[in-house]
Amino acid sequence: MAKHNGEETVIAHGVRVEGEFVSGGNVVIEGDVQGLIRTSGDLRVGDESKIVADVTAANAVIAGEVRGNITVSGKLELLATSKIIGDVAAEIISVLAGAQVNGRVTMDGTAGVKAKVAREEVESDVE
Amino acid sequence: MYLYVYDEIVQGQRFERELALIETRLTDLGISGKIARLALFRDAEELIKDEIRRGTQTVVAVGNDQTLRKVMDAVGDPKVVVAIIPLGPGNNIAQILGVPSGVAACDVLSARLVEELDLGSVNGMRFLHVVTLEGAQPACTFEGNYTLTPAVKSSLAIRNLAESDELGAANPTDGKLEFVMKTPRRSWLIKKTDEVSTVPFKKLQLKSSEMMSMLVDGEKLEGTEFEIKVLPRQVKIVTGKDRKYV
Repeated sequence: MAKHNGEETVIAHGVRVEGEFVSGGNVVIEGDVQGLIRTSGDLRVGDESKIVADVTAANAVIAGEVRGNITVSGKLELLATSKIIGDVAAEIISVLAGAQVNGRVTMDGTAGVKAKVAREEVESDVE
Repeated sequence: MYLYVYDEIVQGQRFERELALIETRLTDLGISGKIARLALFRDAEELIKDEIRRGTQTVVAVGNDQTLRKVMDAVGDPKVVVAIIPLGPGNNIAQILGVPSGVAACDVLSARLVEELDLGSVNGMRFLHVVTLEGAQPACTFEGNYTLTPAVKSSLAIRNLAESDELGAANPTDGKLEFVMKTPRRSWLIKKTDEVSTVPFKKLQLKSSEMMSMLVDGEKLEGTEFEIKVLPRQVKIVTGKDRKYV
């Protein structure tokens, strides 16, 4: 088991989440999520994870499958096992060989603005 | 003014000598006070509330976790300071608060390092430490926004105050509770391991079609639906400098 600080949310393998998943801290997802993911912190999606949701985060590392649009204000890393079906927007994108992206990729600087708006919404929700 | 509440468990011969040492030390430190002895048919709440009305500002539980729980429930007034002098087994909370067992606790009490801590509430029942639930598969709805469901029966803990372990410490001053769920993972290739989910939260609802039995700071509570929430800064408590939750 990984050591974490009290603000980190971890959704383990074998767990399913449905609904508007909003967090003010870092998020690690190894299970399945359906709905919406919004965090003002960093997001890590494990290789066995299946996500059917629009995703907003500060930075993200994706190893699993995401069906939905991804908006990241900082750096998005798509690992070799990742599969994205949806549009991707980020300031910096790193794609490893083997990663699949089926959608539009945008790096025009608007991701930061979109993610900032989402982050402000998260902060007011978490309050 | 101090009120010392002796639990039934410390009133036998076993703790006679230790209690005499404690009383002497409290007098030496100038913090002696009235002693109330709990008994089977004596209502702790009425007794403590009467003393608070008479001007008691600090209520000290002399006993274990259960004694502290009884005292906190009875006090109910966030202006009154609560403390513990741990005696005997079952003193996990005192250990985390950094209060040593027996006569050494008197010096911690005298130093009076008072912290305002959060409490948790399960269907209105308050807790300081932890709620545990074994072998359950409830739908867990956080903040009314999203629902987390384990694929198989899992063990759950809701932590408010916990010393640092493999999951880190649970801080009772952050205005949040911590949900920890261990979901067993078994396959014919690998041996059984637990997958751990953790979620900090303010409000949680647990629902199950089966009856669930949980331990709320060691006290049993049964039902099919539980509302759990944090009550920020609800209790003033004396802690030691060696406290383990931060």
